Amino acid sequence: MTASPLDDGLMHDGNTGVTCPSCGNTTSTADSFCESCGTELAPPVSSADPPGYTAQCPVCSLDESAPSGPISAEGYCESCGRKVPSGRDHVELNLELLAGVTDRGLRHPRNEDAMALATTETPDGPVAVAVVCDGVSSSPNPEDASLTGAQAAVRMLLSSIRRGDDPDEASLAAVRQAHEAMAILGSPSRAPSATYVSVIVGADGVTICWLGDSRAYWLATESDSARLTKDDSLAEELVAQGEMTEAEAMASPQAHVITRWLGADVAAPQPHVARFEPPGRGVVLVCSDGLWNYQPDAAALAELALPEAFNDPTSAADALLKFALDAGGMDNITIVLVPVPLVRPAPLPRRTPP
Amino acid sequence: MTDSGFTVDVDQNQYLPEGGRDVSAVVTVTSGADVAIAAPGAGAGSAEIIIIDCSGSMDYPPTKMSQARAATAAAIDVVRDGVGFAVVAGTSTAWPVFPPDGSMAVASPASRAAAKQAVGALRANGGTAIGKWLGLARQIFAGYPAQLRHAILLTDGKNQHETPEQLVAELGQCEGVFSCDCRGVGTDWEVSELRTVSSALLGTVDIVPDPAGLAADFAAMMENAMGKQVADVSLRVWTPQTATLKFVKQVAPAVEDLTGRRTQLSPQAGDFPTGAWGPGESRDYHVGVEVAAAGLGQEMLAARISLVAGTEVLGQGLVRAIWTDDEALSTKINARVAHYTGQAELADAIQEGLEARKQGDEETATAKLGRAVALAHQSGNEDTAKLLAKVVDVVDVESGTVRLKKKVEDADEMALDTRSTKTVRVKK
Repeated sequence: MTASPLDDGLMHDGNTGVTCPSCGNTTSTADSFCESCGTELAPPVSSADPPGYTAQCPVCSLDESAPSGPISAEGYCESCGRKVPSGRDHVELNLELLAGVTDRGLRHPRNEDAMALATTETPDGPVAVAVVCDGVSSSPNPEDASLTGAQAAVRMLLSSIRRGDDPDEASLAAVRQAHEAMAILGSPSRAPSATYVSVIVGADGVTICWLGDSRAYWLATESDSARLTKDDSLAEELVAQGEMTEAEAMASPQAHVITRWLGADVAAPQPHVARFEPPGRGVVLVCSDGLWNYQPDAAALAELALPEAFNDPTSAADALLKFALDAGGMDNITIVLVPVPLVRPAPLPRRTPP
Repeated sequence: MTDSGFTVDVDQNQYLPEGGRDVSAVVTVTSGADVAIAAPGAGAGSAEIIIIDCSGSMDYPPTKMSQARAATAAAIDVVRDGVGFAVVAGTSTAWPVFPPDGSMAVASPASRAAAKQAVGALRANGGTAIGKWLGLARQIFAGYPAQLRHAILLTDGKNQHETPEQLVAELGQCEGVFSCDCRGVGTDWEVSELRTVSSALLGTVDIVPDPAGLAADFAAMMENAMGKQVADVSLRVWTPQTATLKFVKQVAPAVEDLTGRRTQLSPQAGDFPTGAWGPGESRDYHVGVEVAAAGLGQEMLAARISLVAGTEVLGQGLVRAIWTDDEALSTKINARVAHYTGQAELADAIQEGLEARKQGDEETATAKLGRAVALAHQSGNEDTAKLLAKVVDVVDVESGTVRLKKKVEDADEMALDTRSTKTVRVKK
C-alpha cells in the first residue's frame, strides 16, 4: 500500500493511519473500513440534501411572530404555497482527488441533476469515481431517478473496485445497479428516468460508461482536449449520418431528444463503455447538458477550466458553473473535475526553524 | 390510474409573467373501468325515487299523462333487484304512490309489478308545487339507508302553487341528500326553474317536447343511475393563505358553476360536490385562483386538487405557478383552458340572448345569439350550432352575424336554453 493517507474530514494520526470517526480507534489507511467497528472510512458522497438539512419556507420563516408552517410532501409550504428550496438546489462536493458542483440553474424550478463521488485506495494506487445523472424532465419525479441512480451506481463502483474487478466490468455492474434502483421507483407507464455517465480514474486510465447526453471530456493543455462520450441523442445521430453539422444540431429542436436512458420503461439498458489512456497531464470533466449546451467544444472548455483545475478542481468547477449561469442557466448544471494524475494536495510546507 | 381507480390530471400553463396573479387550470377527473363501492352486491346501497307530475295540465293533451305513466313503468323495469325504490306523485301537494305508506320498497319482480299497477291508476288533477314533491322524496330517502340516492323528476308546468323562496328553501335541505335529474314535458314549463333544481341537486335537465319520447328517456336515465358506483365524491381544493379561489366550475360534459357550493374545511381548503360516479366516466373542471405574485424564478403551489369520497383520497393533482421573464412561456395560451372559457361564454351568451329576446330587446338578443353562433362554430360544438340555427338565421358564421327568426317554435327555444350548458371537449 503506497499513497498518502485518506483525508475525508477524518482525523489523521501520524502518517500511517486515521482515527475512525465512529469508534475513535486508529486504523490502517489500507482498509476501506475501520478494523475495530467496521465503519466505512471513505464513504461515497452525493448531491442529496445535506445531512441535517431541514426545509423551511423562505417567506414564512421570516415572520418571527409565527412558527413556520409544515412543508408538504411535494416540497411546498402549506401556508403560503411557496416552493421550498431543496438542499439539492446547489451542492458542492470536494473529495480532494476530485470535486464537483451541481446547481438548479436560473430557469428550472428544481435541480433534477444528481452526482455521486467517491475515492478509494487500491494496491495500484488511488482511484476516483464519479457518476452524473440528469433526470428526464418529461418523466415523473426525475429528481428521484437521478439521485437514486447516481447513489446506487457509485456504491457498486466502489465495492467492485475494492474487490479488484476490471473497470469495464465494474462500470457495467454499476449502470445495471443504477437501472434497477430507478426501475423500482416506477412502472413502464410511469417511469422516473435519467441519463447516466460514470468515470473511473485510476492506474488503468479512464473508464467511461454512459447512456443519454450527459458527457465526459478530456481537458488538457499539453495534449489534445477531446470529448470522451457520444450522445445518445437524435442530434448526434443526425450529425453522425452527415445530415447536420454540430452547430445545426445544437440549434435544432431535436438537440435534446435522447434515444437512451435509464428507468422502468427500459427493459434492457444498452450502455456504452470506453477506455481512455491519458497521454499526459490533464483533467477529466464529467457534466450534464446544462454546461455543454453553452460550450460543447473540448478545447474551449479546457481554456475555461485550466490551469486552475489541476490544483483546485473546486474553484475550477465554480468557474465553469458561473460560465453556464452567465450564459443563461437554462438547465440544471452539473460539473465534476478529476485532475490526472490523481494527486492529493501537498501537505503544507514544514516550517523550518530560523 | 391510482389504486382507487380514479385519475386526476391537471392541464395548465404554469408560467406567469412578472407580477402575474391569475392561475387557471383544467382538471380532468376520470374513473376507471372497475371503480366500485367497497360493499359488493349488485345494486346494494342504492335508492331511486321517481317523482311524477299529476297536475291538471298533464291531461292536455291526455297523452301526456298516459305517456308519463308508461315512462315511469319503463323506469321501474330498469331498477335492479335489491335497489330501494319509490314513486311519488305531485300536485300542489305530494303523496306516496308506491309504496303507499311512504316507505321505500326493495326491487323485485313482485314489487316492480305492484308499483306499476299503482302508477297505472294515477290521474291528473291539481296544481304544481315542486318543493313539496322534493320534500316528500327527501323524507323517504331519509328513512332508508343507501349510499347512492337518486331521483327523477317530471313536470309539465310552472311551479305555481308555492313561492320561489319555498322551492329554494327545500332545495337547500335536499342538497347532499340526493341527486335529481329533471325533465320538462311539453313547452309550458320554465327552463330556469328546472335548471335551478337540477343544478342544486347535481343532475341533468332536458326537454322532452313530445310525450311519446318519455319512456325511452326515463329508461335511459334509470340505466345511467344504476351504473353509479361511488357516491358523494367531492373535489377538495387547497389554496395558499394569500390566494383567493375565484371559481370552481364543472365544464364537461356540461357547464355547472360549483363556486357557491363550497363546504369549508379550513380557511385554506373546501369541498365542492361532484355527485356520484360510475365506471369509465370523465368530467372536466375549470379552477381559477388569484395568487399573491412572487419574484421571477419563484414557484408556488397555487392549488392542490384532491378527489375525496368520505375520508378516502381517490386522486390528486397540483396547480402550479412559476414566474418567468420568458414571454414565450408566460404568454402561451393553454388550449383547454381557452376552450372551456369559450364554452362557458357560449352558455352565457345563449341564456342572455334568449332572455333579451323574451324581453323584446332584439338588439341585445341579436348580438348575444350572434356571439353564440360564432363561439359554437369556432369550438366545433355542432349540437349547439344546430339548435341555434332554429332560433336565428345565420348570415356569417365566422363573425357571428345573425338575424332573429320571426317565428320560432317554443320547443326549439327551450331545447336551446336547456342544452346551452352542454360542452364539447378538445383533445389535449
